[in-house]
Amino acid sequence: MTPSPEIRPPTDTELIERWKAGDTRAATQLVGRHSQALARFAASSGEREGIEELVQDTFVRAFASLDSFRGESSLRTWLFTIERRLMLDRRRAERRSRETVPDEESDHVSEYGALDSLIAEEAQERVRRSLEALSPTQRDVFTLRVQQGLSYKEIAEILGTTEGAARVHYHNAIQTVKEFLRDE
Amino acid sequence: MNKCMELDLQEMLPDLLHRTLDSAARARVEAHVAECASCTEELKVLRTVASAAVFAPTIDVDRIVGHIAPYRPIAPVVQAPARSRVVSWLVAASMLVVIAGGGSLLMVQQRQPGARVAPTAVASHQVSTSSQSVAVKPPVTSVPVTRTLDQPIHTLALAPGVDGLSDGDLRQLMNDMDSFDALPTVEPEPVLSVDTGDNLDQGL
Ligand SMILES: [Zn+2]
Repeated sequence: MTPSPEIRPPTDTELIERWKAGDTRAATQLVGRHSQALARFAASSGEREGIEELVQDTFVRAFASLDSFRGESSLRTWLFTIERRLMLDRRRAERRSRETVPDEESDHVSEYGALDSLIAEEAQERVRRSLEALSPTQRDVFTLRVQQGLSYKEIAEILGTTEGAARVHYHNAIQTVKEFLRDE
Repeated sequence: MNKCMELDLQEMLPDLLHRTLDSAARARVEAHVAECASCTEELKVLRTVASAAVFAPTIDVDRIVGHIAPYRPIAPVVQAPARSRVVSWLVAASMLVVIAGGGSLLMVQQRQPGARVAPTAVASHQVSTSSQSVAVKPPVTSVPVTRTLDQPIHTLALAPGVDGLSDGDLRQLMNDMDSFDALPTVEPEPVLSVDTGDNLDQGL
């Protein structure tokens, strides 16, 4: 009996090559593989609406510039980098529009309106409030590390910073979150 | 709560949570957590956080794929052919001459009948030098490039200034300039250099 060939899912790099060769199913596989993680990161990062649109924009941009993806980092890390840049652009645009039309809500609170509906249960409400207490950068580092399981090297790449700086942000964030969860 | 004394192991707690450690590292971290109260507490916190914000909207994969354009390799940037730049400059140069001609003719138009029309070199290639030839408009687009190149460069210098032009004439001149395709970004120069014009004038 001949051993059946090993069946393993194609790597991202293989799917990218297939897509470049004209196989649209490869795009479907890539989007299916990473879209939910991108949506979770956006939600954790405080996006309150248009998460689907954000994820879509991320993929559209990524696929349009796949030739510039060198494969030195994982595709997911690269996608997070693009998504985070889009989120920062969005927030900047929102801030500018708020400057012309005064809004009573602060940045911090309005950004976090998203999680109000996302985290319903009481135990999770405490998590929401602890994350709300973090600075935006601390929050991104913390959620990428804890919810996405990325390494400091990957996080540093996404944030455009150093591993050391990412470690410091994480350390400060975990102290804050622990205090919040301990107090209640 | 006692502080953890094995910070390199504590740092791996998120990796333990996401099962991204190899078996040896995983065994080390698990053994440490079992006897470290600080890491036990931190791991509990991490579990709570990791399971918290998972309620992101479900993404419609097909819809996203439908928005993705087919692959197009990045093409190298193609330089515009050098010839077209030369042609542009030739056209621009010809426009300068045309403006000079236009300015001169408009100037002629301003002069009183009988007054001496000083620089007539412009007229030499366009109209008769009669002071009655005021109706001739400067050719705007029909001046062939080769012909323009034939003009002596001091023709430009013969153009008088625009100071004597009426508002209407200036507006007409500006309108004509607006219709040019390849005007250089600098102001037309004919009105600036007058020295060679003087010499030529004396020679007439
Ligand atoms: Zn410990």
